[in-house]
Amino acid sequence: MGLLAGSASFTRFAVQGELPENFWDFVADRVVANSFKDIDDTIDEFSIGWVSVANMFDSDFAYGSYAAADYVVLTMRTDERKISSSVLKKYTMKEEERIKLEKELPRLSRAVKLEIKERIRAELVRQSPPIPATFDLCWNLAENSLLFFSTSKKAIALLEDLFKETFGLTLVLQIPWLLGQQMVDESQAAQYEDMRPAVLL
Amino acid sequence: MDLVDLIQEKRFLGQEFLAWMWYKSEERGGTVELPNDGDILVVFEKHMLLEYGEGDTSEKVICRGLQTELKEARAGLLLAKKPEQARIRIARGDNEYSVTLSAGTLEFRNVRLPKTAGTENDGKDPEGLEAQILERIALLEELIYLVNELFRMFVNIRCSQEWNDELIKIRQWVSEGALQQ
Repeated sequence: MGLLAGSASFTRFAVQGELPENFWDFVADRVVANSFKDIDDTIDEFSIGWVSVANMFDSDFAYGSYAAADYVVLTMRTDERKISSSVLKKYTMKEEERIKLEKELPRLSRAVKLEIKERIRAELVRQSPPIPATFDLCWNLAENSLLFFSTSKKAIALLEDLFKETFGLTLVLQIPWLLGQQMVDESQAAQYEDMRPAVLL
Repeated sequence: MDLVDLIQEKRFLGQEFLAWMWYKSEERGGTVELPNDGDILVVFEKHMLLEYGEGDTSEKVICRGLQTELKEARAGLLLAKKPEQARIRIARGDNEYSVTLSAGTLEFRNVRLPKTAGTENDGKDPEGLEAQILERIALLEELIYLVNELFRMFVNIRCSQEWNDELIKIRQWVSEGALQQ
């Protein structure tokens, strides 16, 4: 749930940096260059990129659907092949036992165990389908502010990197302190910086 | 100072904002007068998370319930706990919103927007989709505006001589909460 429907959770950012003059051409180029690439038919473990907010399979933006009046609306999509540690442990132990029996060895060296673990991991990754996740964003161009429809720290870190990579602009999380700094006038600035926690009882 | 340190060191500002807004909403029975916008509805409901101390030594208390008057949470204030998360209903005119605000980063969680005439769009009609998006954005921005204006009001009082008087009233309200137990 995010920008389009249902209840929403979001984090607020300020967008820092200069926008180019031919902004919409720039956005068109950069979004397409960083659009989502499917990994269903590859053995890649991870993919990240932009898709349309209307459809997670639309990475071509057939309708130019990232533009809505003075807003850029996009969905960050990630696909990741994940292996749970217990599954990896199970198949690694199974393979270790098989090799011990086959080679009639009482135990395996650390190096061999490591090699088995890596091989099993690679095999399991290849077999597991990528798990998709999508996160909407809405960039207000007039105010240089951005809403990101997630509160997950991992998703926020991925967004900050992808946004920087795509547009060369920096996102700054709008925490109460930074928000307040913009709201006080000059006469209050010193008092604002000196604020200490109050005792409410 | 990097952002992580800033969030931790200045956490008190968001916590005090939630406490102040709670006091302010109860001062006039759920109505707060914004300097430029007049009266809006601000009601604390259902869910509150309070915190005491920092880092490993911090204690958290969650208070929730459908018809809760947040008595436990009020008692928590008297034990020097500060609100870390609160579920708030905010309304201006016909538009009513619900949101869970967090003190540390002022995230908006589980936002409920007013019901509108907008219909679901399957993405095949670009104009319909754009209208739906812009309608949702307008509502989200109204909620953000109202929270921002409440925060602006708090920060302006917090950095002025008015704060000392406000603090006395808040303390009085906190101790009245204890008497109601």
